[in-house]
Amino acid sequence: MRNFEDDPTLEDLLTRDQLQRLNRTLSALCQAPVEIGINRKPTSVALEFNLETVGWLSGGSSDQERLAAADLVSFLMMFVAKYRLAANLHHDTTEASYAELQKQNEALKASEARYRILSDQLQEKVEEQVAVIKQAQMDLYESARLRSVGQLAAGVAHEINNPIGFISSNLKVAGEYVNDLRAQLPQTEQNRELLDDFADLIGESSDGTRRIASIVSDLKTFSSIDQADYTQCDVNELLSSAVHLLQTEYGSDLEIIEKPVELPTISGHPSRLSQTFYNLLDNAAQAVRERRQEPGAESRAGRILVKTSVDNDVIQVVIQDNGCGIAENIREQVFDAFFTSRPVGAGTGLGLTVARDTVRAHRGTIQIDSREGTGTRVTLFLPVG
Amino acid sequence: MADHSAENNRLALKVVFYGPALSGKTTNLMQLHSLLNPQRKGELMVLETRDDRTLFFDMLPIGLKGDSGLDLRLKLYTVPGQVQHDSTRKAVLSRADAVVFVADSQTSQQDNNANAFGNLEENLEKVGLDIDTLPMAVQFNKRDLPGVVGDTELQQRWANTPWAPLQMASALNGKGVIETFRVLLDRLYTEVDREFALQSVHGIDRDTFIRQLSAASEESCA
Repeated sequence: MRNFEDDPTLEDLLTRDQLQRLNRTLSALCQAPVEIGINRKPTSVALEFNLETVGWLSGGSSDQERLAAADLVSFLMMFVAKYRLAANLHHDTTEASYAELQKQNEALKASEARYRILSDQLQEKVEEQVAVIKQAQMDLYESARLRSVGQLAAGVAHEINNPIGFISSNLKVAGEYVNDLRAQLPQTEQNRELLDDFADLIGESSDGTRRIASIVSDLKTFSSIDQADYTQCDVNELLSSAVHLLQTEYGSDLEIIEKPVELPTISGHPSRLSQTFYNLLDNAAQAVRERRQEPGAESRAGRILVKTSVDNDVIQVVIQDNGCGIAENIREQVFDAFFTSRPVGAGTGLGLTVARDTVRAHRGTIQIDSREGTGTRVTLFLPVG
Repeated sequence: MADHSAENNRLALKVVFYGPALSGKTTNLMQLHSLLNPQRKGELMVLETRDDRTLFFDMLPIGLKGDSGLDLRLKLYTVPGQVQHDSTRKAVLSRADAVVFVADSQTSQQDNNANAFGNLEENLEKVGLDIDTLPMAVQFNKRDLPGVVGDTELQQRWANTPWAPLQMASALNGKGVIETFRVLLDRLYTEVDREFALQSVHGIDRDTFIRQLSAASEESCA
């Protein structure tokens, strides 16, 4: 490519038409025809531009005429060249600027693409973080609940154990006193009846205190106030405590059939497992109760079956009810946090979510089979070791 | 980049007058045109706008013939000093063989001088030249004005650069212009002689080079 500053040739400066016109005009001014060309002739004089000979002028009637004409042509070429040089420089500069702009444009495009990718990743990161925060919030909620249940249970156990202790020991002594009285009192019909009734009252009260003591013990197991972390758990024992608690809450109308088999212990978090079992049992109990409230179902007995088994080092816990079942349209959502089919205020929507998370924390799985109007079966698979 | 054509035995060199706006680059060139009487001198081409500011460049060709018939040309260019004409400045600066930096001596113009010098360094790099090896002369112009930075202070400030001593000038009055040009020719000769063997092959020694190209009108031209 030629640079703007390269010395121009005659052709660069004047077109053929312009040259012919110049020849005509100069010829008219001089006494003999004048001709400008790039070849030197015997009498021609040099046409200079920028110290450069760009052509030769011949013809004319004398040296004087030729010199004057050549000078005039050089003078004219000066202005032509000025314009040409400026135009060339302008062209060069514009091209260079354009190339520069294109380069910048490319760089901008690349950077925009990079930022777009970054922004997409940002969206993903935000979603990830939101999920983490949701999970943390839920864990916090659940652990706060567990802690408060635990604290309550610990308080109840402490406050009730002592009075129950002396009540049951007093009742035992009272029973002996009744026997002593029987020996010393006259053997009349009335006395015998009174003393028999008295003994029965004391016997029933003793049963009552034993039941209270058993509930307190279940509560302690359930809340695991003694065990804060992972430990060896007996699934049957945890399940049985949860069943007793549920039975206490729902009364004897609810039939709960337990079919445990002997199980190996697993390493786990006892209070979280108890909570899970309780949640599932509670769901089953509610389903049964809901079913019984349907018209024409009063006569049907509600029943919950709790069954354990072990197969290939995996413990299976089945909690099955003959309640209302789960409607097909909400079956997909049952594990979603804060999803509940119960009336506002009656459920947190966290029961199954917590159950699933707990099972996963124990490297297990949870499976739900349900048919609306027939019942629901929840199976937990918990690996041993 | 010196343009040497062995075929025509011709060597064209390019000298660029650089500096901040209104420091007197065009005035330097006009004075050289009227004061110099070198062996060969072309027409001064001035491309300026209505308000006398250089828009593209000015150009003055001068030349000399060596004993070997070497046709040596020197084209002196000025660049537009205004900041916005940077791409034009870069285009004119490309392939330069030497640079005259014309600074404004006025106290108020010191920042502009520094900016222009930085711009020169940057543009030289962009066109593939190195300010440390390129022959260069630095002139502080407008010494005739009041409120200029003192000679001693300026010389001291530049003492540790390759461009000391500085040339002091009052281009409008024709003072210091030829002297600056001669300092540049001296530095330029070193480089050109090394590359093209001016003395041994073409019989042009340092003294001839400087004298022939910068002969003043009133001095005799040998």
